[in-house]
Amino acid sequence: MSKVKARAAAKASTPKALAEPDLEYQARNSKRREATSRWFYVLCVGIALLSVLILVVLLVSIGYQGQSRLRPSLLTNAHSELEIEQSGMWPAILGSLAVCGVCALAAMPLGIGTAIFLEEFKPTNKIARMIHGFVQLNISNLAGVPSIVYGLLGLTVFVYMFNVFGQIKVNESNGWEIVGAEHYYQVLSLERGQVVMIPQADPEQRQLTVTEPTVGVDADGNEVSIAIWEPGTPKPTDPEVRKRTVRKGAIGGTITERAWYYFRLPFDKSFLAAGLTLALVILPIIIISSQEALRSVSPSLREASSGLGATTWQTVRNVCLPAALPGVMTGAILAMGRAIGEAAPILVVLGAAVAKGTGPQNMMDTAVTMPVLIFNWSGRQQDEFRELAAAAIIVLLIILLILNSAAIYIRHKMQQH
Amino acid sequence: MKRFLGNGFLACLVCLVAVTGCGPKTTTATTDSTTAEATSSDPAGSDSAGSGTAEVSNMSGTIKINGSSTVAPISDAVREKFIKQYPNVTVNVDGAGTGNGFKDFQKKATDISDASRPIKPGELDACRENGVQFIEIPVAYDGLTIVVHPDNDWVKTMTIEQLKKIFVAGSEAKKWSDVDAAWPAEEINIFAPGTGSGTYDYFREVVADGEGESLRNDMNLNEDDNILVQGVAGNKYSIGFFGVAYYEESKDKLKAVEIVNPEDGTAYLPTTENIASNKYAPFSRPLFIYVSTASLPRAEVATFVDFYLENVSELCEKVGYVRLPEEIIAKGRENLDNEAIGTHFVDAEGNKRSGPLAANFKAENLTK
Repeated sequence: MSKVKARAAAKASTPKALAEPDLEYQARNSKRREATSRWFYVLCVGIALLSVLILVVLLVSIGYQGQSRLRPSLLTNAHSELEIEQSGMWPAILGSLAVCGVCALAAMPLGIGTAIFLEEFKPTNKIARMIHGFVQLNISNLAGVPSIVYGLLGLTVFVYMFNVFGQIKVNESNGWEIVGAEHYYQVLSLERGQVVMIPQADPEQRQLTVTEPTVGVDADGNEVSIAIWEPGTPKPTDPEVRKRTVRKGAIGGTITERAWYYFRLPFDKSFLAAGLTLALVILPIIIISSQEALRSVSPSLREASSGLGATTWQTVRNVCLPAALPGVMTGAILAMGRAIGEAAPILVVLGAAVAKGTGPQNMMDTAVTMPVLIFNWSGRQQDEFRELAAAAIIVLLIILLILNSAAIYIRHKMQQH
Repeated sequence: MKRFLGNGFLACLVCLVAVTGCGPKTTTATTDSTTAEATSSDPAGSDSAGSGTAEVSNMSGTIKINGSSTVAPISDAVREKFIKQYPNVTVNVDGAGTGNGFKDFQKKATDISDASRPIKPGELDACRENGVQFIEIPVAYDGLTIVVHPDNDWVKTMTIEQLKKIFVAGSEAKKWSDVDAAWPAEEINIFAPGTGSGTYDYFREVVADGEGESLRNDMNLNEDDNILVQGVAGNKYSIGFFGVAYYEESKDKLKAVEIVNPEDGTAYLPTTENIASNKYAPFSRPLFIYVSTASLPRAEVATFVDFYLENVSELCEKVGYVRLPEEIIAKGRENLDNEAIGTHFVDAEGNKRSGPLAANFKAENLTK
């Protein structure tokens, strides 16, 4: 310690000492620095390997648990409570793809558009600068908001729509049905398990009491006449007749036949609402990555375009976007990878229901998604379900891997051109 | 190398496209086959002068169910069997919890509410305010099992008083010897379901039923019952409780404690027979469905509830619960047929009725 002080004092008093370097000290110093550098290198390698190791441990343990359930039925069947062995995740795969499709269609134009606004249309006056700064600040903040908060937002905005369009109630109101809905009264016929459908004329009247012969429709939309059987008189015996006959005074409740383009406000618990909520989750990610991509386009390209007389829009359309596309696409696909694995917002928006035999059948249908199915299965008491959960995780990982590979492939492909 | 990698990724992409491409085809294929089945079975049905044979129904519609996650597997099982016979009916079963289920039910957002406890007076009031009327139907029993480590050789039976000493806050026993002087002077480790679960609520109701009593707050709480199983199985001086279905799954790792029935003073194990005969009291709880009467005129709801009562005893055993005695199911069916509106578990003054199911589930206890 005193030696160092003495040296410092010597340095300060005699500049000559600087001219005559302490060779021994320099050699020691250099060795010490090299050793530190080596240690740091080893530390970095160790840390890098640790993250890989964690992934490997995860994959091996999941693979070990789930390998016995990785069979075709996992991909083709639906969740089953009674035949656990035969449970599968096909509706969940379809549901996840549908939700993510909606999410991509909503988030990508919005996100890329915002990024273009922020990067290419630079503010020219004070007010525009303030708007820019405000938007930029909000996007940076939104990227850090937990996804379950977006779930609650989606619940109010997309599922209930602030109750502006009324609440959906089971026996009273379907909300505002805009297109694709046909209402019928469904009345039990005399044949067990068979019903007759009578088209609904007055949408306000939710129930119909059949007292006289009337006209209904069959499955193909053809008109059929419906007869009445009065209790006390002999019952028809021919099943075909029984199918077209109802008891006098039978009550019919309303059912809704929905075409695939069925559209209604509010969205209620539908895959559309879930997709739009996920779009909110990934929007900041897409904006920020697109901004980065646009920023990395060389300014000389922009200047050349402007120099040739192109407007800002022409420059964006013909120069900046094509040059930035690989980066934009990579960011977007990685964001989709996040969207497909999100469980929390979906649980809030769609609920935890997993028993659904098909993918979404119309625009307002519910959906089961893979993360929610895994969440449900892993919490069950039966061992089979926990193994199925592990197998489903493997499938989800493979799909994510494919998505990420696609991102890398697109980037390579586009950089070549 | 790059090129090679690129090709690999292309192959992956093609796979993805192929998989998604198959999707619609397979689904249309299955729907085709169901409709084909429906049409082909039609003439068959008419030939046999069908008196309710397994003909595929043309009934359609949507039934919305929400409520207890404990009851959801039963409703899911019924749904699964139901849609085999009625393929056009959509049944949505959500398991957001009994309380959340009743919130939806009050808002008229669901047709049926699943519940792992009877409706509470406050929820009943909310239903009345919104004009929601319902029929209360018990569907199965769930037994709450108290478990200890298999090497635990000092506990075989326990009384409610002993459980109170362990679980109730304030007077809690730190060591086994605090409960019974003959037991070892070792610290008790407690594993219990989370405070949000109906199981915790039910246990607290039975053990800490007095004024101002609550369960102690230094227990290891976890919503994941598998962790509770591991916790108790990993420590000789531990105790825990959860639904009987979880115990059945891990019988080899745990030992169930016989509980002394306060009525007859005999200790009973939570076996299927003891739960069904109500001897395993007070730790067997009934599970319910609440059906909105406004939905019953709809053919699909009426048929589904009918189907539910017909099949629940068999199906609930398949998903790990205990069937109700035949007379209680019959009583539920009677209530459904007579549209006996109201609950049996709240009295006219708005106080909660507690006690065994069979004692309360009587016509004279019905409160609208």
